[in-house]
Amino acid sequence: MSEVMLEMKDIIKDFPGVRALDHVNLKAYKGEVLALVGENGAGKSTLMKVLSGVHPASTHEGEIYIKGERKKFANTKEAESAGVAIIHQELNLIPGMSVAENIFLDRQYTNGPSINWGKLYNETEKVLARLNIYDIEPTDLIKDLTVGKQQMIEIAKALSLNAEILVLDEPTSALTDSEVDELFRVINELKEQGVCMVFISHKMEEIEQIADRVAVLRDGKSIGDITKIEDITLDGIITRMVGDEVDEMFPKEKFERGEKTLEVRDLEVDHPLREGEKKVKGVSFEAYKGEILGIAGLMGSGRTELVSGIFGAYPDDTHGEVYIRGDKVEINSPEEAVEHGIGLIPEDRKEIGLLLTRNVVDNVSAASLSKFSTMGVMNEQEERKNTREYVDQLSIKTPSIDANVATLSGGNQQKVVIGKWLTTDPDILILDEPTRGIDVGAKVEIHRLMNKLVEQGVTVIMISSELPEVLGMSDRVLVMCEGEAVATLDRAEATKEKVMEYASGNF
Amino acid sequence: MDNNNKGTMYYLKKLIEGNGTLLALIGLAILVTTLAPSFFTPRNLTNLTRQTTIRGIIAVTMTMVILLAGIDLSVGSIVGLSAVTVTLLMQAGLGVWVSVILTILLCGVGIGLWNGFWIAKYDIHPFLITLGMMTIARGLAMVITDGSSVPVRNDLFGVIGGGYIPQVPSLIILGIALIGSIYAIIKANQKKKEFGTEVSKFDTIVNMVASTVGILFAAAVFGSYKGIPVPVAIFAVIIMIGVFILRNTKLGRAIYAIGGNEEASRLSGLNIFKVKMFVFTSNIVLASISGIILASRLNGANPNLGKMLELDVIASVAIGGTSFTGGYGRITGSIIGAFVIGILNNGMSLLGINTFYQYIVKGLIIIFAVWYDTVSSKE
Repeated sequence: MSEVMLEMKDIIKDFPGVRALDHVNLKAYKGEVLALVGENGAGKSTLMKVLSGVHPASTHEGEIYIKGERKKFANTKEAESAGVAIIHQELNLIPGMSVAENIFLDRQYTNGPSINWGKLYNETEKVLARLNIYDIEPTDLIKDLTVGKQQMIEIAKALSLNAEILVLDEPTSALTDSEVDELFRVINELKEQGVCMVFISHKMEEIEQIADRVAVLRDGKSIGDITKIEDITLDGIITRMVGDEVDEMFPKEKFERGEKTLEVRDLEVDHPLREGEKKVKGVSFEAYKGEILGIAGLMGSGRTELVSGIFGAYPDDTHGEVYIRGDKVEINSPEEAVEHGIGLIPEDRKEIGLLLTRNVVDNVSAASLSKFSTMGVMNEQEERKNTREYVDQLSIKTPSIDANVATLSGGNQQKVVIGKWLTTDPDILILDEPTRGIDVGAKVEIHRLMNKLVEQGVTVIMISSELPEVLGMSDRVLVMCEGEAVATLDRAEATKEKVMEYASGNF
Repeated sequence: MDNNNKGTMYYLKKLIEGNGTLLALIGLAILVTTLAPSFFTPRNLTNLTRQTTIRGIIAVTMTMVILLAGIDLSVGSIVGLSAVTVTLLMQAGLGVWVSVILTILLCGVGIGLWNGFWIAKYDIHPFLITLGMMTIARGLAMVITDGSSVPVRNDLFGVIGGGYIPQVPSLIILGIALIGSIYAIIKANQKKKEFGTEVSKFDTIVNMVASTVGILFAAAVFGSYKGIPVPVAIFAVIIMIGVFILRNTKLGRAIYAIGGNEEASRLSGLNIFKVKMFVFTSNIVLASISGIILASRLNGANPNLGKMLELDVIASVAIGGTSFTGGYGRITGSIIGAFVIGILNNGMSLLGINTFYQYIVKGLIIIFAVWYDTVSSKE
């Protein structure tokens, strides 16, 4: 093997009352991709914060070596100058400024008091060329780029700082499949150039595809040795992550199909900004009691727009017919959708799912205020009782029902959103990416819950970008491609290959 | 028995953390009293309370506006416009109640709906809509009075802002309030126990002591002067309604939710339009009531009344700890904030401090209060 770029030895990091990292070891070589995996709360982020100087050397025990040299970072600046850079999940770019200005934000080239634009643009082109990117101009504004391109700019920024150790924290979570391919191309490029990368992800397939070796953290401890990806199976990785064997990721149960609860005819959703363009182009489908309808498709294929349109989220841009139990309904706002017994658990939990300034009770009651009030006056005790029931039933881990939801982990936050919608007693529950970004244990719990809902007579519609999840949990799969419903496959005929073919338009 | 094993320091800390603004208010009152003994007299305290009423009433709904991450700059101008409208209507020969109701309908409900419509329907930032209305309303007040003051002589009208509820009935009302508040606390605790919610003995005691001391203090002040001023009684009723709405109603919950995350609230089926219409309209209605009270107290009005008052109201809410990004805050905090500003105005005047300096001191206090709030909420 080549030169050791990074070595972390016996890292111990304590927070008040908890040991977040317990003798963690990590070693990464020049020109390799090391996958760092673990459930939420396993200590991945903390470890990376230790590495990047967010947690200064004085606040933890253990040793960090960069290229064999002992380092004690007092702040992020020192880590940066030692060649360590982190690409965070949330990108840190300024939307209204150009690519060049963002890359060289804190070290603009100047001629006396004025900015040397020529040099700035040249240098930017050089950095982009290193990534083999030629379709982005240094003068392009960040806000006009796709998320995937924006991420490239973050990487370019890190490289311009001469980063030799690059940490990618769930870099693919907001990318379309083609953007993921582009990202992986860049990662391979950097590998050739000898950059050492630590790749944090929840998606096992990606790890299999891009990583050379994999390190697993569980409860702040290193589990097993760092293993070559060829020498371990996905199940093996998951077992290390969750401790004991997960009985099954997709505990699918079959129930008898009941009445047709939802029928959608020729639904169209206009593009909010571009005149004449459509996000959803005449989609028709049916959903039944007693089954889970999965909706598959690439990002940007119009899945979210389809269900949001049904839900009345864009009343001015949605056209088409919706029937509930055979009766035609007009849904012009989410308020009316709720009245018709529809619930929608949105894709973006933090942005549009939760009230982050409020506690668990307020969040769980938010969609059912009428249920808990008489003549407009709230019955606080009733709603607290309801919240407590869902906290128990969904095993939401929270210090109390009065705790702010912002303090909960991703999986528990998602359960709070689910509790909110179950409180409305929905007949039809739409879940948009219900398990994105949450740990394996919570995923399985949510899958079990979906089974239970179906058993109770709720019609469940689930959007998921993770093919195994769609295939594992759905009775039927509706595949979308560029705003159209291109196929509806029964569970028996829905294979990974078939769904992918339809989703990518190759059929 | 949840807190038995914790020391005095724990309770002291809890008390200070939960009631920072209130303690600051008490500290300020003690400071002003030592410097100017005439501050702590029933007469002055009654006047102080009456002065605070004007901005305090608006602070009730301004709290809701700011909870929605909004702002309303037009309330000061509405105070001026309502004051001249009510006096002009009376000059024109209309009766007191007709004039008052017409003013509330025209200047309050009418302009409030106008503001609310632009803000709620088109999702325009309230700063801009109310900035426009601030100028329009001031202009209207100038136009209808031709820029000059409007005197009014009417004893009944004078009662609204200048009258008193006589001492004996005042004491009876306060007595009922005392019994009522203690009963409410006990009742709430019973209900909590019934539903298995943990009851904190400490909180119960603090609440009981606070309301008892507060009401007895009010009784001492108002009882030994002329009784409860009528505007203060109006103020008290408005506070109770406001607190009830925010704490106990669906509407109140919706205000907090929308302020916390508007899109999430919309997707939870809340009717954003209705809530915003209600909040922005009622804010202008209360501004209009304030204007009427002010005209009554002054026995007349001029079109410049209420200039810069919006800033005092917004400052009260800020001092009271309501978050300007929405979703977090309380009316009681804003009321305390309104009194802090009242004591500053009143105290500095008693001390003979030049108004020019008063502005500077007030500004510094606002910045300090907001800084303290930001820093302590980060912890």
